[in-house]
Amino acid sequence: MIPAAFDYVRAATFDDAFSALADPDAKVIAGGLSLLPMMKLRLARPTQLVDIAPLGLSGIDADADGTRVGALTTYAELLSASRGNGHGLGAIADCAARVGDLQVRNAGTVGGGVAHADPASDLAAGVLAMEARVVLRSPRGTREVDAADFFVGPFTTALDQVELLVELRVPHPQPNQGSAYVSVEDPASGYPIAGAAVRIRRDGDRIVACTVGITGAAGHPFRAQRVEELIVHGNVPTVAELHGAFADLHAMSDVIAGAAYRRHLAAVVVHRAATRAFDNALPRGAR
Amino acid sequence: MTAIDSAPDAVAARAAARLDAPAKVTGAAQYAADVQVMGLLHARPVLSPHAHARILSIDVAEARGIAGVVAVLLAADLPIEGATGSRAFEPLARSEVVFAGQPVALVVAESEAAAEDGAEAVAVEYEVLPEVLDVEQAIKPGSPLTRLEGGAAADEMEMHTEVTASEQVGDAEPVSGNVIGRYNHADGDVAGAFALCAAVAEGRFRTQWVHQAYLEPQAAVAWVDPDGRLVVHSSTQGHFFVRGLLSRVLGLPVAKIRVVGATLGGAFGGKIGLLEPLVAAAALVLHRPVRIVLTRGEDFAAANPAPGCVIDVRIGATADGTLAALDARIIMDAGAFSEYGGAALASGRIGGPYRWRTWRVATLGVTTNRFGAGAYRAPSAPQTAFALESLIDELATQLGMDAIELRLRNVPDAGERRIDGARWPGIGLRQVLDTARAHPMWTGRTALPPGEGVGVASGLFPGGRQGAGAVCRLETDGTLVVSVGAIDMSGTGTGFAGIAAETFGVPIEKVSVITPDTDSAPPATLSGGSMVTYSVGPAVAAAAAQARDQLLRLAAQEMEIDPTDLEIVDGRVRPVGSPTLGVELSTIAAKTGGFGAPYAPVTGSASALPPELAPSACVNIVHVRVDADTGGVAVLGHVAIQDVGHAINPALCQGQMRGGAAQGIGWALYEQLVHDESGHLLTGSFLNYAVPRSEQVAPIETIIVEVPAPFGPLGAKGIGESAVVPGAGAVANAIKAATGVRMHELPMTAARIWHATQTR
Repeated sequence: MIPAAFDYVRAATFDDAFSALADPDAKVIAGGLSLLPMMKLRLARPTQLVDIAPLGLSGIDADADGTRVGALTTYAELLSASRGNGHGLGAIADCAARVGDLQVRNAGTVGGGVAHADPASDLAAGVLAMEARVVLRSPRGTREVDAADFFVGPFTTALDQVELLVELRVPHPQPNQGSAYVSVEDPASGYPIAGAAVRIRRDGDRIVACTVGITGAAGHPFRAQRVEELIVHGNVPTVAELHGAFADLHAMSDVIAGAAYRRHLAAVVVHRAATRAFDNALPRGAR
Repeated sequence: MTAIDSAPDAVAARAAARLDAPAKVTGAAQYAADVQVMGLLHARPVLSPHAHARILSIDVAEARGIAGVVAVLLAADLPIEGATGSRAFEPLARSEVVFAGQPVALVVAESEAAAEDGAEAVAVEYEVLPEVLDVEQAIKPGSPLTRLEGGAAADEMEMHTEVTASEQVGDAEPVSGNVIGRYNHADGDVAGAFALCAAVAEGRFRTQWVHQAYLEPQAAVAWVDPDGRLVVHSSTQGHFFVRGLLSRVLGLPVAKIRVVGATLGGAFGGKIGLLEPLVAAAALVLHRPVRIVLTRGEDFAAANPAPGCVIDVRIGATADGTLAALDARIIMDAGAFSEYGGAALASGRIGGPYRWRTWRVATLGVTTNRFGAGAYRAPSAPQTAFALESLIDELATQLGMDAIELRLRNVPDAGERRIDGARWPGIGLRQVLDTARAHPMWTGRTALPPGEGVGVASGLFPGGRQGAGAVCRLETDGTLVVSVGAIDMSGTGTGFAGIAAETFGVPIEKVSVITPDTDSAPPATLSGGSMVTYSVGPAVAAAAAQARDQLLRLAAQEMEIDPTDLEIVDGRVRPVGSPTLGVELSTIAAKTGGFGAPYAPVTGSASALPPELAPSACVNIVHVRVDADTGGVAVLGHVAIQDVGHAINPALCQGQMRGGAAQGIGWALYEQLVHDESGHLLTGSFLNYAVPRSEQVAPIETIIVEVPAPFGPLGAKGIGESAVVPGAGAVANAIKAATGVRMHELPMTAARIWHATQTR
């Protein structure tokens, strides 16, 4: 439980960080809640850790485009800022509430969690369903990537080696929009076996827009377009109706849940999250 | 957690806080890993990645070259000879590894970091051999063998209970050389009895390997004193046991070994003796202190968890609810070594705490390339009770009889025969079942919403007994020091304080309890087998009584009164029934030590061996809700009812009952060590080995029943192990009540339940 030897660089500027990251075996460290355990188990052995704490990347604010969540914002800070659906983060806040325990949420960062891209990241489901854009900065400049294009494989993202995730941009909620996150957790790790974040926009009892982010079920978190098509312009589908939309899912299989059970659970969590999102999509007094 | 507890006021009044609690809560307790000694070296094992392989070569050159690495020890470097096939004698694999996780080398270094770097640098070349993982395949003639070199001796672990001689009943089934033990019990015409049964239930039940999941990993420190004596501090349930083990393995006389039992950070049967031979051998070779503390991952892979089994069982009852026939075949995994005898234990346990008219039980102990096996709280009993109590429930349904009534009709009387031939002592099962039958959770079980259910099961572990000594010394300030050889496990020391306090006549705050090292402690075997309080307690009571007699004689001199007319109440010696007269205990005690003291010191010393066992019966009632969509089980309510004989300290009894119930939930719903098809451990971390957490354990209501044991201290019974036995069966029966589905495999994970509900 002692990591292999490594160097530590505290980046005072973006340029410091970029030059350190030119070493292909360097890794960015934020909260360290995923990276350090992997290093202690020697599953990861970076030659150097690049600490980006001094870069001023934490905090939540809003502009005309939406809400900006700095990469080093902790889960706890995000939850605090989201009380009473503040900032309209919706399902993203639901997801953050399901991450780890209090200690983890106090130290773990939103950007670290998204960049780590664990296939069972709670937060990723919300980021996908809320159509967040991931803002990346490199020596070449700044670019924005849709969340749906950011997660490309297990622990693999659109990030380049010499590039930092600096913030998430979450669009402001539309009228009559609701969202929710529901997961079934692995009793050992607490990670979702299947988790679904669903965002719904209603016109009366009709669903006119729907986005669905799925986590835990497959090799990486993803937008479930077939499910979205099934839901939009209809009612909340039953679990049985949703089974079809997941029939081709290349589901993960492990000790706690085989692929068939995971596909089924994906349908269950989508049904439950969609039901809640549908209820949330009306103003409080109208429910 | 809310807890609702029932005990008569007089019993509840005996509750006292654990003597060891302040040190543990404040972090002051010194565990084995905290031992500080000059020149300490740190050891890291190199574990085999293969379940079964021949070691072709081990290249230690690179590891030796790492700064800080002092030595890389291989089996041939250790001063241990003989007995291949025994884990204790082979702390490092010699030429063949028999499970993934088996240590093959030990890197010893000046720092933890250097040891870990060194362990990573050791290059081992293996020739992979066919692995044996499935017990049903393993027993077949022609199966690959678990071990090619060295024979496996017959299994021999009988420390947790008294195992009676098994009886061969002509079981002619041909088996492979992996079978190391066969235990058969039979009586009467089983087939004929089944023909007369009004209800017959049968099933094949499976359980997985389960880890004891103690908080503190295995740890030991060893060095050689300047006078040549070996000193070992370890996290062990039995320092005398470890001394004997080291004497045998290292060929040293016991007088040359001193073992100190460190504060235990959880054990549950898993810390009887594991790392001590390795760390002691390293200290002897290197002439420096050596410490080994397993990482959690190493502990999962390389320690000694409880084995899985396959149980085929068929039972029948006549129309009046008499259990008439039991037919069972058990295949118990013995793991990769010969030391652990779970099969013998299982063979006797499958009959449960019931009277049977006829029975035929065949049990096989079979080696596999999974782990070294070890004991875990009530060895073999949670597994067998899961199978039996599930079928008892089915019989009750078939007979249209209350499931508790069916059990009540088959409670054995004292003197009746157990299926293993031993005689039942009196057990309090009838009183415990009567209490359960009247409980609102049971009587209200038919008025539940859909998806909810209540289940019940009984459990009993026969426990063991051991001879033990105790010394009770009066200090000159009037306090008592009780010295025992039993390691304090789960508050047993506080129990001894209660026994001494009650016997002597002082408040418990005036008593301290110590377990000195093996040089100084009165003898004891080990803490386990539900025999600590039951077996050591009588010696404590006798020593305290002796000390009391000595003190009363001094007080009689002092007060010029006959000692038989004196009593000690709340630390005051007084004429019987005269609260205002007499003298403070401390006044007399002050005269028993120091220059010119008029009286000899007061020191009681006694030893005892209870003449018979005193098993404790436990019943759990569990209320669950099953999520029909996910198969997930939520435990909504949990009642533990147990006959403790006499609650010396009801708070400790309740702690045992709650802990047992919680571990029962672990057996029932969560815990399983799983290997892939090559024998690699898939659940070697708490990220994938699930234990019940506080939010997954319902408030546990404890109800203490007291049916005194004739030879127990103040009537107490050994209660630790029975507490865990009924949980899995009770949960299984609750799931059946909630869903209509009978589960046949532990743990009853959400996925297994969901699949079972899909295919019913």
